Amino acid sequence: MTETRNNPLVHLLKHQLDSGKIDRRHFLRLAVTVGASIAAASTMAGLPLPAYAQDGNLPFPPADPNARKGGILRIGQRIAKLDDPALYSWNDGANQSRPITEYLTLVGPDNVARPMLLESWEASEDLRTWTLHVRKGVMWHNGDELIAEHVAFNLRRWSDSKLGSSNIGLSSFTALSTETGEKDEKGKAMRAPTEGAVEVVDSHTLVLHMSRPVLSLPQDCAEYPTQIVHPSFAAPFSDNPIGTGPYTLAELAVGERCILKRITKTTDGKDFVYWGGDVYLDEIHYINYGDDNQPVALGSGAVDAIYELTADQVELARSFDGLTITSTATAQTLCCRMQVDTAPFDDIRVRQAIVKAVDNNLIRELVFPDGAVTAYNFHVAPIQPEYFELPPLVRDVEGAKALLAEAGHGDGLTLTIDVGNTDGPWQQAVCESIRDQLADAGITLNVNVLPTTKFWEIWTKTPMGATSWAHRPLGVMTLGLAYRSGVPWNESHFSSAEFDAALTEAESVLDADARRVKMEKVQRILQDNAIMIQPLWRPVFTACTDRVHGYTAHPSRQFHVNRVWME
Amino acid sequence: MNSPLPAALPPAVLPGWRRPEPLTVVLLLLAFVWLSLSTYVMVPDRLGVAHRWLLLPAIPAVIAVHVLLLRMFSRSTVAVVGITMVMLWILVAAAAPYLPLLDPNRPVAPYQMPFTTKNGMTFWLGTDMRGRDILSRTLWGSQRVLVWGITATFSAYVVGAFLGLVAGYLGGWWDEALSFLGNMVLSFPVMILLILVLNYLGQSGFNIIIAVTCSSAPAIMRIVRGLAMDARGRDYIQAAQTRGESVVWIMLIEILPNVRGPLIVDACLRLGYTTVMITTLTFLGLGLQPPDPDWGLMIKEAASSALLWKFAYMIIVPSIAVSTLILGFNLLADGLRELSQKD
Amino acid sequence: MADLIWRRLAQMVLIMASASLLLFAIFDTEQFRKQIAVAELGGFGAAALSEGDYQAWIAKKGLDAPFVERYLSWAGNMLQGDMGFSMEKNTEVAGLIASRLHATGTLAFYFFLLMVPISLTLGVIAGMREGSWIDRAISIAAVTTTSIPQIATAVLLTVFLSLGLGWFSAKSSAIGPITFAELALPVLTLLIYDVGYVTRMTRAAMVEVMSSHYIRTAVLKGLPRATVIWRHALRNALIVPVTLIFLQLNWLLSHIVVVEVFFQYSGFGRMLYEAAIYGDIEVVQAATMVAVIVAVLSQLLSDIAYILLNPRLRVAR
Repeated sequence: MTETRNNPLVHLLKHQLDSGKIDRRHFLRLAVTVGASIAAASTMAGLPLPAYAQDGNLPFPPADPNARKGGILRIGQRIAKLDDPALYSWNDGANQSRPITEYLTLVGPDNVARPMLLESWEASEDLRTWTLHVRKGVMWHNGDELIAEHVAFNLRRWSDSKLGSSNIGLSSFTALSTETGEKDEKGKAMRAPTEGAVEVVDSHTLVLHMSRPVLSLPQDCAEYPTQIVHPSFAAPFSDNPIGTGPYTLAELAVGERCILKRITKTTDGKDFVYWGGDVYLDEIHYINYGDDNQPVALGSGAVDAIYELTADQVELARSFDGLTITSTATAQTLCCRMQVDTAPFDDIRVRQAIVKAVDNNLIRELVFPDGAVTAYNFHVAPIQPEYFELPPLVRDVEGAKALLAEAGHGDGLTLTIDVGNTDGPWQQAVCESIRDQLADAGITLNVNVLPTTKFWEIWTKTPMGATSWAHRPLGVMTLGLAYRSGVPWNESHFSSAEFDAALTEAESVLDADARRVKMEKVQRILQDNAIMIQPLWRPVFTACTDRVHGYTAHPSRQFHVNRVWME
Repeated sequence: MNSPLPAALPPAVLPGWRRPEPLTVVLLLLAFVWLSLSTYVMVPDRLGVAHRWLLLPAIPAVIAVHVLLLRMFSRSTVAVVGITMVMLWILVAAAAPYLPLLDPNRPVAPYQMPFTTKNGMTFWLGTDMRGRDILSRTLWGSQRVLVWGITATFSAYVVGAFLGLVAGYLGGWWDEALSFLGNMVLSFPVMILLILVLNYLGQSGFNIIIAVTCSSAPAIMRIVRGLAMDARGRDYIQAAQTRGESVVWIMLIEILPNVRGPLIVDACLRLGYTTVMITTLTFLGLGLQPPDPDWGLMIKEAASSALLWKFAYMIIVPSIAVSTLILGFNLLADGLRELSQKD
Repeated sequence: MADLIWRRLAQMVLIMASASLLLFAIFDTEQFRKQIAVAELGGFGAAALSEGDYQAWIAKKGLDAPFVERYLSWAGNMLQGDMGFSMEKNTEVAGLIASRLHATGTLAFYFFLLMVPISLTLGVIAGMREGSWIDRAISIAAVTTTSIPQIATAVLLTVFLSLGLGWFSAKSSAIGPITFAELALPVLTLLIYDVGYVTRMTRAAMVEVMSSHYIRTAVLKGLPRATVIWRHALRNALIVPVTLIFLQLNWLLSHIVVVEVFFQYSGFGRMLYEAAIYGDIEVVQAATMVAVIVAVLSQLLSDIAYILLNPRLRVAR
């Protein structure tokens, strides 16, 4: 990668590595974040090439020498409609079309972002200017070649709030857009792409001019609703599925099945050449099974692999013969948050009492006996690079009672928490465990279980709710979405100028160690304000039959099928 | 079928069990038990300390009802078996707070087989996938299904019987309009109607009452209407009309008690049916919401995470519980019908 | 006869018109629009929309038109066979309902194929000799099977016959033609409940006929028992059960929902359930109308069958 040599940030990092400020692992992660290829970074760090780097500059695991071509992989998951990839509401649709349309970057099961339709990228020192190099030789299913203009089309699309996509909430695309001046009665502003923010330099180079420093561009471009569509795109995608991936859509029946086949010819009759090397499976059949039914479908041989095993189902899956169960640590979590501007939570002593009365570690032991990591109410996970380790919180029931008495609730307090089990019944188990622990401090907690869709209608409105937050590769990505004053997903209504400033400061530091130092303050403010009980980081479990190779759990529950093969 | 017992008969010289009094006593006691149970389940947080002792007086009441019913219906074995099944579950529901049970919502040790002992606790029926005691959940679970099932059926009866009396006794346009409305609702398949109503109102026990009332009241109305039309032509109604009694009085006091025979049989069948519906709705995620123990919920949870021979006890136990209750209602209906035919 | 049918048909049309209006009113609420937005965009996506974006989105979906306008255009389209468009499944509702009805029809066909002979035979055998041991055995079995909720039957059958013995599929995969192994458990689940019910009804009808005067007279006249039953009793005893069988179509529409949802069978009931949960308005409306038509038609068929089978009524009309 010629770019790497010229990349000032990589040189800065190399300098830090040489002077012992960062270790090699950190260097690798950071260098890749700012645009060095894994191979180049590994070489610079003097590390052996990691498994992923062996296949040139590809974001996939290395080809398995034993791999056999052919076969049909049947995957059990919910079958969603494929309308507009930018409007996907969940992973299911993205998983269905991931082998058809691809992403600029791909976050692997190891939580590292690698270039996919990009060849490389680099950021300016102030993190406001990003240069993207589009991969050469990528062919669309209609025979066109992927060029920078196509990528620009997608980036501009995402930074327009009229599209109705949640992508506008990702900091990269927020920074590529400006408020139009229009405001609705609730004071939320509409946004449109900033003039000139996405600049096409040549056929394969783009420069992005951000309105504020952004360090998560590679990660943002791997979020599930950011599949790159052809400029000729018109919804629904399923009617005209043009992508760059090795598969095409053969059949889609929402709620029933979605069948993908290898693509051999482009729509204009040329031989289709896939840029990403060997792909083994002939066909991928997604078959509709809800969460409740997936393990049984797998155990009874109706499918070869499934979307996910819930924590309650791991024991069941272990009881079936011939299954491989994989798991991975994630930054997926549950925030039992309180709205800081609603009584009784507007009194910080009440919130502190609630947090003090609960032992997060105990909840983790009860709900996820294996695989989960205890969290301590500041929403940055140990697997995220900037995680600053704060001392564990200690349960203090007496202290909680004292605080309650001080706040005028000495004779008890009755609260209700809304939970939607949007990520599975374990969420309810967490709330029940909190309820049992709060009882010791004289707090009666009613657990109000809502159906999933009903919960999503009220999640930002309820005074006390248990919201599931998805895995994101970087800690600052979540913090900016959930806790900055006034942002749409700020469900706790937490508003602190001090926190915003500290977060902005952390966001402008690329170096993870330096950022980690800044994160201490950010995390402490969040923890000290006691806005939530965030008890654990859940693992993701998935399973497949022994015949399937290369199918592993992914922290964002994405299917990467390029290197999957079947006996 | 319809054996009109004159309601205004003077009290019998001998307090025989086949006279109206025992039925009145039974109904009053049942109303008391039902009120205590409903209050206990529906508004637990408004009662304070009383909540703890609320169900104690209901226990002897249940036993008394059971004894009275057994003596009343001793001629029919089927009815006796049915009564026993139903009353046993009502007894369990009333006694659950005072039995030495583990907390039905507290996870202890997951996937324990029946009859295992761990940490000094014996799990007679094992524990579920979250480690909650199945015996305790099953016994506590009787409360919710009984309270919501009976309340919903009762509410459907109040509405259905009233509309049926109006349509049948008043006739004319009242009849036309009400029958049309009834036919319209009846033209929806029941489950679809329930799904629509619950999806519209949201999921809760109270909304189940509304949904069941919507779907069952028209059928009840149809039965009562037929009976009321039949009664309208009878002498005792004509006599009441001549006496100048008010319309409401005639409907409620003269007609209703005289058509109770077929209604009670239908009510028992309907109780069983409502129980099936509530369990099914809960299974579909449209009925009672977790976490409190409920049979439909237990089957639902086990169906997603314990669908295996070695965990079958998690499914069999709540299935037997709900089936015995429904069987009890069905047998009771059969037995009552048998008795009415013998009379 | 014809008069009755015409009256029925007129009533049917009136009922459907009112039902459609009711359905439309139910789904024309802000709450349902919100539900669609959440279902389409996800909880996070919907929360990211500003009020203006949300209104624009609603307008794009055509949900902002006034109630009467939308109702009339919908009703007009329905009459022309255009049932609307499924937001969730991105497809024409008419085609969707047709394919799902086909799947459910297959299920229903095998269900009726087995249910009718089994339950009529059992009911007649039991009712022939009221109080005999065979009557008791059949009656007890029948009342027991009608007391087990289908969810329990479905779950237990899966545990024993599918995952335990491996005879049938645990779930019905939606790929390829429907096979025997996939149909077995859903059909069996439905049968176990309904055979019990129809058997009980047949038995009751049979018992009533057997105790009627003319059968007693025939027996007293010294006719062989078999002749009495075949020539005289059966014909009269089967009137009620046969009319009841038509009504089982209505029953089936109701109970198929939970069976299809549990076995993940891609049929009509599951489609309606999922559409209701998702808030896929046009599918719910169209499917409910179809269900109402089937229900009303089955009622009509049942009435006609009753009149045709019952000589006394036939003469009277």
